[in-house]
Amino acid sequence: MAQKDDQEDEPKKVLYPLDPNSYQILDEIGRGMSAIVYKAICIPMNNSTVAIKAIDLDQSRSDLDNIRLEAKTLSLLSHQNILNAHCSFTVDQSLWVVMPFMSAGSVQSIIASSFPDGLSELCIAVVLKETLCALAYLHDQGHLHRDIKAGNILIDSNGSVKLADFGVSASIYEYNLSHGSYVSSGSSSLRFTGFAGTPYWMAPEVVISHSGYSLKADIWSFGITALELAHGRPPLSHLPPSKSLFMKLTKRFRFSDYDKEDGKKNKKFSRAFKDMVGLCLDQDPSKRPSAEKLLKHSFFRGCSKSPDFLVKNLLQGLPNVEQRYKEAKIKGQFSLDSRSEKDDQEDIMEGEKVKQRRISGWNFNVEGFEMEPVFPGEKEEDDIVKQVRFGGEMIIQEKGGEQSDVSCHSSPGQDGAFCNVAQDISNVDIQNLAIGGENCEGGYNKEVMLKGLLLLKKSLEDQREKVVNIIVSLGGGVDDERSNEEQLKQMNEQLRIELENEKGKNHALESMLQSFKSRLSNE
Amino acid sequence: MKGIFKSKPKTPTDLVRQTRDLLTYVDRVGIESREPKRDEKMADLGKLIRELKSILYGSSEAEPVSDACSQLTQEFFRENTLRLFIVCLPKLNLETRKDATQVVANLQRQQVQSKLIACEYLEKNIDLMDILIAGYEDPDMALHYGAMLRECIRHQSVARYVLESEHMKKFFDYIQLPNFDIAADAGATFKELLTRHKSTVAEFLSKNYDWFFADYNLKLLESTNYITRRQAIKLLGDMLLDRSNSGVMTRYVTSRDNLRILMNLLREQSKSIQIEAFHVFKLFVANQNKPPDIVSILITNRNKLLRLFADFKTDKEDEQFEADKSQVVKEIAALEPKGNEHEQAG
Repeated sequence: MAQKDDQEDEPKKVLYPLDPNSYQILDEIGRGMSAIVYKAICIPMNNSTVAIKAIDLDQSRSDLDNIRLEAKTLSLLSHQNILNAHCSFTVDQSLWVVMPFMSAGSVQSIIASSFPDGLSELCIAVVLKETLCALAYLHDQGHLHRDIKAGNILIDSNGSVKLADFGVSASIYEYNLSHGSYVSSGSSSLRFTGFAGTPYWMAPEVVISHSGYSLKADIWSFGITALELAHGRPPLSHLPPSKSLFMKLTKRFRFSDYDKEDGKKNKKFSRAFKDMVGLCLDQDPSKRPSAEKLLKHSFFRGCSKSPDFLVKNLLQGLPNVEQRYKEAKIKGQFSLDSRSEKDDQEDIMEGEKVKQRRISGWNFNVEGFEMEPVFPGEKEEDDIVKQVRFGGEMIIQEKGGEQSDVSCHSSPGQDGAFCNVAQDISNVDIQNLAIGGENCEGGYNKEVMLKGLLLLKKSLEDQREKVVNIIVSLGGGVDDERSNEEQLKQMNEQLRIELENEKGKNHALESMLQSFKSRLSNE
Repeated sequence: MKGIFKSKPKTPTDLVRQTRDLLTYVDRVGIESREPKRDEKMADLGKLIRELKSILYGSSEAEPVSDACSQLTQEFFRENTLRLFIVCLPKLNLETRKDATQVVANLQRQQVQSKLIACEYLEKNIDLMDILIAGYEDPDMALHYGAMLRECIRHQSVARYVLESEHMKKFFDYIQLPNFDIAADAGATFKELLTRHKSTVAEFLSKNYDWFFADYNLKLLESTNYITRRQAIKLLGDMLLDRSNSGVMTRYVTSRDNLRILMNLLREQSKSIQIEAFHVFKLFVANQNKPPDIVSILITNRNKLLRLFADFKTDKEDEQFEADKSQVVKEIAALEPKGNEHEQAG
C-alpha cells in the first residue's frame, strides 16, 4: 500500500530528490494527449510510492507560461483536500511532476469499475463535502479549478479525498505579464475569457461565454459532478460532446433527464440532495451559492462520516488502479461505449493538453483523437467563443439554413446540430474502418462491438430527434425527413468541394516544389 | 495585549499601523521564540495582512474602494513597512506569506495623487532588490520573493538597477535550477527584465553586449537542458526582433559564432526550438550587409538548408511564417560568394 506522507498544517516540507534516477517507474496508470501518469517508487525515500506525471513539453508549442503557473499553483497550495506536488523537474523534453500516489484512483474510475449506476447518497455526500472543502480553499485563494469532475477527484487507500488536476486552472491574482494588464480588480468582477474544461461539466456561461466566467462556473461543474456520482455519468453523456448542442442543452438539466436514458433504474434521492444540486445548476451564475456557502447546506451539514466510511463502502474489493487502467484500456480499444471510462482513466491526474482530447471523446481510438478532434486547439476555441456569441435563446431562433459553412464549430444554432449529425455519421465510417483494421490483426469482441454500435445507433436517433425538434420549432416540420436528408446531402457536397479545393492546393504546392527542385538543380 | 483589538480596527491607516507594529515584534523576537502570546500575535498578524489584501483586491462581496486603497498605500510607504514585509516574510506561515506577497505586488500599482509612491520608496531602498533576488537561492522563499520582484521591476528605475547590478549574471544560473517551479519563475523574471522597458533594455544590451551574449550563447543556447534552450531561443528572438534593439540585432547577425549556434538549433529534434531558431536565423539571411564569412557559411550549407526548409512547417497554418520562409529560401538560393572564396556546394 502506498505510503503517504501526512502533511501537517505547517509541514517541514520533505524534500524529494530532483533527479530522475532516484525514481523507479513501476506502471503506467494514466495517459493523455501530452502527459503520461506513472506509478513509481522513490528509492532514497524508503521506496515510498509516488505518482509521476510526465508532461511532454514539446507538445505545448506556445510559451510555457501555463505550465509555469500550474507548477507554481501546485507548490503554493496547501490543503488536506488538494493534491500537491512533491516537486517537479525536467527530464529531457518532459516535465516530471512528482505527487503523492492516491492508491484508490479517481472517483470516476471507481464508479466505472464497481458502481456503474452511481454511488449511494452517503458516499456521495462524503466525497462531495471533501471536494467542496478543496474548492472553497481554492476560491478563497483566488484560483479557479475549471475542470471539476469525478475524474479529477482522487481517493487514497485511507479514504482521504483530494482534488487534482490544475492543468487548466487559472488564478485571479496572476498578472498578465505579456500585456501588462491587471487581470484582477476584485474577485466579484473577475472575468476569465478562454475556454477550458470538459464539455459535459461546463457551465452555460462558459460554453456561450458572453460574460466570461467566474468562480461560479466551478460551482456549476460541481453540481454536474454530483449528478455524475449519483448516476454513474454526467447528464447527456450519451450525446457526443459538441458545443452547439451544449449551448442548448445546458439549459435544462433535471434529475428527470436521466429517466429517458435509464428508465429501469429508479433511484431515489433525498430532498436535500436534489435541492443542493438545483442550487448549483442555476442558469444565472450570480444565483449559485459560493463554495463556502454551499458547505453550510443541509445536505453537507448532515454528513459527518469519517474517511473510514469510504474505505468500507467504496474501496472494498476494488481492483487496484493499475488493473483498472489496463482493463479500461483493453475495453476502450474496441468498445464504442468506452468514452467515459477512457476519459476517466486518462484523467487520473491529468495533463494539461488533455482537454482537447477529452472534448473529442466521441472518437474511440487513440488515432482517432488526432484525426478528428471535435474541437480544435485552444486558441481557435477562443475565436469560436467569440463567434457564437448569440446568447442562449437567440441561437435557436437564428434562421440557420443552407448557407451553413462546413465547419461545425463556427456555425451557430441548428446548423451546428445538423453538422453534428453529419459529423457523427462520418465518425461512424471512421470507426467502422478502424474496427475493420483491428479486426484483421487481432480479432474483436463481437458482443462489445454490437453493444457499442447499438449505443451509437441510439445516440444517432437521439440526435435526429433533437434535429427534428428544432426543425419543428422553426415551423418546418412537415417533410423533416427529406429536409434532413437534403441537409446531409448538401453537407456532403460541400465537403466534397472542400476536398477538391484541398486537392487543388496540394497540386499547386507540389508543382511549386517541383519548380524549386529544378531551380536548385540548375544552380 | 488584546487591548489594541478591542475597538475593532476600522481605517486602512490603522490596519497598516497595527500590521507594522506586529511585524516589528516578529522581526525582533525571531522564529523560535517561546515568548508568551507569540502564536496569538502571529495569528493576529495573519488576519491583518489578509484584511489589507481584501482592501486592495476587494472580496466576493465588495469591489476595492480607491479611497481606502490610497490611504493604505500612503500609510504603507510613509514608514518602512515594505522592508518589514520583506524581511519578516520567512517567519510567516504559508498562507500569510501568500497574502503578503499579493499585498506587496498590488501596492506597486497603486497611485496616490497620480504618483507611484511605491516607486519612489524603492528608489530610496533599492537594496531591497538584493534580498528579493537572492530569494531564488532559497526554495522556500523563491516563489514569493520572485513574484514581488517581478512587480517591482515594473518600475523602470528599479529594472535598470537590477539590469546594471551584478545580479544579472546570477540569473543565468537561476533559470537552470533543478526545481522546475523556481527555475521557471526566474525565467519569467529574466524575460521581464529583458523585454519590458525598451529603452533601458537597449541601453543595457549595447553596453554589456560582450559578456551578455557570450554567456547567453554558452550557458543558455548551448545548454544541455532542453527547457533552457527552448526558452532562451524564444527570448533571443523577442529581443532581437524588437525595433528598439535594432542596433544590437545588427551586431548579433554579423558573428559567425552566433550563426553556427543558430544553425545547430535549427537542426534540433524539437519542433518548438526549430521554429524559434528560424525566427532568429532569418535575420542573418535578411541582413543586406552580410560579412563574407557569413555568406560563405550559408553557401557551404546551402543544400542542407534548402532541404531542411523544404519540409519545415508550423503546426497551424501561419502565413507570415511561410512568407518568411520563402524569402529566406530565395535569399539563400541567390547567394553569390564574396571576395575570393569559391562556392563549394556539398
